[in-house]
Amino acid sequence: MTNPKTIIEIRDGKKVFGNFTALTDINLSIRQGEILTLLGPSGCGKTTLMRLIAGFETLTSGTVSIDGSDCAGTPPERRPVNMVFQRYALFPHLDVFENVAFGLKVKGMSKAEVKERVNRMLHIVQLDNFANRYIDEISGGQSQRVALARALVNGPKVLLLDEPLAALDLKIRQHMLAEMKRVHTETGATFVYVTHDQDEAMILSDRVVLMEKGRIVQIDRPEDMYARPKSLFAAKFLGETNLFDATVSAVNGIGTTAVTPAGIPFLGAETADRHVSERITVSIRPESLSFQGGETAAQSAEGTVEDVVFIGSRSFYTVRLDDQSPVRVQVQRNGRLALPSIGDRTRVYWDSANIVMLPHT
Amino acid sequence: MLLRIIVWAILAFLLAPLLIIVLFSFHASPALSFPFAGFSLRWYEELFGNAQLASAVIKSMTIAFLTALVTLLLGATASLAWLRFGHAGRGMIEALTVTPIALPGLFVGVSLLVLFAQSGTQLSTATIVIAHVVIAIPILIVAMKARLALFDPSLEEAARDLGASQMQTFARVTLPLIAPTLIASSILAFAVSFDEFVVTSFVAGTETTLPMYIWSMMRRTVTPLVNAISTLALFFSIAILVASWVIGQARRRSAIAGRLEQLEPLP
Repeated sequence: MTNPKTIIEIRDGKKVFGNFTALTDINLSIRQGEILTLLGPSGCGKTTLMRLIAGFETLTSGTVSIDGSDCAGTPPERRPVNMVFQRYALFPHLDVFENVAFGLKVKGMSKAEVKERVNRMLHIVQLDNFANRYIDEISGGQSQRVALARALVNGPKVLLLDEPLAALDLKIRQHMLAEMKRVHTETGATFVYVTHDQDEAMILSDRVVLMEKGRIVQIDRPEDMYARPKSLFAAKFLGETNLFDATVSAVNGIGTTAVTPAGIPFLGAETADRHVSERITVSIRPESLSFQGGETAAQSAEGTVEDVVFIGSRSFYTVRLDDQSPVRVQVQRNGRLALPSIGDRTRVYWDSANIVMLPHT
Repeated sequence: MLLRIIVWAILAFLLAPLLIIVLFSFHASPALSFPFAGFSLRWYEELFGNAQLASAVIKSMTIAFLTALVTLLLGATASLAWLRFGHAGRGMIEALTVTPIALPGLFVGVSLLVLFAQSGTQLSTATIVIAHVVIAIPILIVAMKARLALFDPSLEEAARDLGASQMQTFARVTLPLIAPTLIASSILAFAVSFDEFVVTSFVAGTETTLPMYIWSMMRRTVTPLVNAISTLALFFSIAILVASWVIGQARRRSAIAGRLEQLEPLP
């Protein structure tokens, strides 16, 4: 998998509805076998992008090619992709078996082969005993699996999933995430997964495509996007973070120094083309802050503990720094370390490696 | 208490004439007044021996069946258009198709008669069917649109996505899902046609439908025969409406059930 093949390629994609630009400057290569997530808030264009691949929408300009061939003008029924709809869109007049068999039957496959393939797929999604149930006789989680099986049985080159877990409650959602990873491994299909849920995106994806207002703002592995967001939007959308407005005071071989209006200095490791007196935003994740200094956590600021929230193994502290800005500090519970209480004066430490400097907006 | 009395009084006012007709259809004497002189089936016997009446019944049945069939075909196409169109299109379909409900039967009858006369169309069973379709279509559309509003368009997209052509999608998904609604609605059209009188009287020419036959009998004298016919027509209409209702309720496998289920997923 060092040089995986590109299965879907979108070049300079633009989609306009009336006077609303839903997508613009879309350039995306989807690799064979990966789980790619289209992540973003509602209205960012992620569902439109998926429907373009499925063939339910057509680009205003630009190209979509699947497996090397341009598919402008190819209707959805002739594209080698299948979709899992947000509310599953299972056929209520057919039972589970017939729902899964639908795609194979319209292609005119022989009865015996349909039966064999459908049963094999029902086995993969663990619904062997539900073949004769009607759609109103199965649960939400089971409906989800039927939808998955109905799409995958056709052997699509790409499986498109439109917020497939949105209709399920939290517990089943986590179970289905694991299930989906397992099915992905077993079938080896390429998954394109649309969600607005950053946790789903991080758990599931090989790569995340972050979208905002019809544009792709960043494409990265989830861990890279979390650690190295390229914009304020990316930093805020994925996980929680502390943000400081600052002005660059020095740039040299070691890194960049930026100072907040109240005088707190941040020394970041990055040396990318920053220039002195540039206004930037500094982002530090709560788990990158601590109450213990050391060789790596050499920078610090003083403040007062304002609030503490315990969440099992972790605690979230809100510390109001002396310049009045509140910061969130996440601490792993560890019996050996003394932790401050509400009202205590304390010092908050961080490491230059965890500082992300973002363009100011 | 007063409210209850009023309710019962209204119900009595509405239903008493029906009950009296049913009761006197079994009356042993031709008198249409109390005291009741005992039960008999003589009027029904007389009915079944009446050739004119039999032909009027057959005529009405034929017309109602044809009306239901034509309305079904037109209704199916109208409902497809309904599913395809957006909000504005639906408004237009509604404005065009539902308006005739508000028009007086007299006006519809005269208009159709003028149309047939000007186009040189011979008044016949066909013209009656045309008139009945005009009357039944808006009723059908009103009955269907509430159901169709619940049709989930993503089911059609799912079918296309799975490789079905537009025709296959219609045959395998759309039609089976809207069929109960269509059939229930066309039974309603049958019922509307079966007892239509006002418009029919304009466009019937020399044809005689059941309501027209009853009316012509009544013109001469009110015979107990009319009670028997009316009683049969009453039960026939009730049977049709019940059938329509039962089919409408048998929607366990229909789009609506699926949609409701999807709106409230089970844990």
